[in-house]
Amino acid sequence: MEPAKHPLNRPLRFWLITLLVFAVLGAAIFAPILGKRMKRAARLQQQSEEQARRELTQPIPVNPSDPRVKAKLFWLSDADNSVLAPVVVELPLSNDPVLRSKQVLNTLLAGPVDAELRTLPPDAVLLAFYLLPDGTGVADFSAALATSIPSGIASEQLAVDSMARTLEANVPQVKRLKILIHGQEVETLAGHVDLTGTFVVNADTGQTPANSAAAGAASKTSAFIAPPSPLTPDHRVVKLAQR
Amino acid sequence: MVVLDPAHGGTDLGARGTGGIQESEITMEFAAEVRRALEQQGFQVVLTRQGNDNPSFDDRSAIANAQRGAVFITLHIASTGLPGTVRVYVNSDLPPVTSPNGFIPWDRAQAPYLGLSRKLGDLVQGMLMQRFKGSPDTAQTGTIRQLRTTAAPAIAVEVSSVVVNDRSDLDHMAPGVADAIARGVVAFKPFYVIPGTGGASP
Repeated sequence: MEPAKHPLNRPLRFWLITLLVFAVLGAAIFAPILGKRMKRAARLQQQSEEQARRELTQPIPVNPSDPRVKAKLFWLSDADNSVLAPVVVELPLSNDPVLRSKQVLNTLLAGPVDAELRTLPPDAVLLAFYLLPDGTGVADFSAALATSIPSGIASEQLAVDSMARTLEANVPQVKRLKILIHGQEVETLAGHVDLTGTFVVNADTGQTPANSAAAGAASKTSAFIAPPSPLTPDHRVVKLAQR
Repeated sequence: MVVLDPAHGGTDLGARGTGGIQESEITMEFAAEVRRALEQQGFQVVLTRQGNDNPSFDDRSAIANAQRGAVFITLHIASTGLPGTVRVYVNSDLPPVTSPNGFIPWDRAQAPYLGLSRKLGDLVQGMLMQRFKGSPDTAQTGTIRQLRTTAAPAIAVEVSSVVVNDRSDLDHMAPGVADAIARGVVAFKPFYVIPGTGGASP
């Protein structure tokens, strides 16, 4: 027996087919446009991530009105000697101690022309720098400072000393240096050098070591950098490597 | 007693160099050599680790801190430096702090021993300089985590480096390093007076 035909079957079929044709036509027209828009959105997102990264890693913007001064940066004297040597670099430096500390530390991170003489890994980033009222400078670095530095007593000590001595030479307001990795205190830089304490930057703190020690004992301990070792004369004026 | 500390171990490989060289492995080999040289000089030697484990800094220090009159030597292989040279490190100044009951806080246990560590470091570095040209003539200072909690004359010996053409270059250094350390410890013995004991020798 033949099934009974519904009276609306024929018009319904017509409209369904018409709708389907329009849907296919619409998709054919709008799909490439949608694709282009999605690609553009993805590109914009990528650009903003890139921008954020660049903002994070970019050295502190240089203010042209800042006076150009001869800054002393401490890098290695030669690749094997494991001794720091000051290099004089003309830089526009802010008078504000926090900005000035960021400027010199970023220049130190950027490294000298000869990459073998750098003391800090090239992919490390200074995330933040704070100056506490007691003269303690707190430098917060990205994890790359700890993960990319060659592990060892000599290499880690030179990294820390190069920061302390560069700050000492250029920012008299910073008396001590505390190093954080991604906002956290860590036990060692890369397995050897103690980062639980602070490093003396400007010894003329007006604070006796005993006081420092008592302060340190309350919150873990203080570490004290070695007295300056003999340096090569600081007569070299060099160009900086481009980041 | 001499407490020898082959640095790193377990998952902490330490410095890694050419041809799969791992600091944690080489320090064990050096420790075995140094142990032999010290025992030949009549010293009792204890290692902070026996195999490929990684005791904490505090656990390593505790082995020396539990002994009266111990000497602590931590052995390292650097990632940098002139290959074939050896550097001795002592902790830089840690101002001594004693609690009201006369105890020294654990986290600055090294403070009363800094003078002795410096003496031991200079003696060992002097011996090493004679064998390994290009090495410094006196001990360097550093803020070394392992030494800070050690209540004994304590030094770090760092050999350069894991970046050598051939692993045998490092292997060949081991007997010389061991002999220099043993001679340095022998030379140090007459100077070793335990702090706070009114002149008692270990």
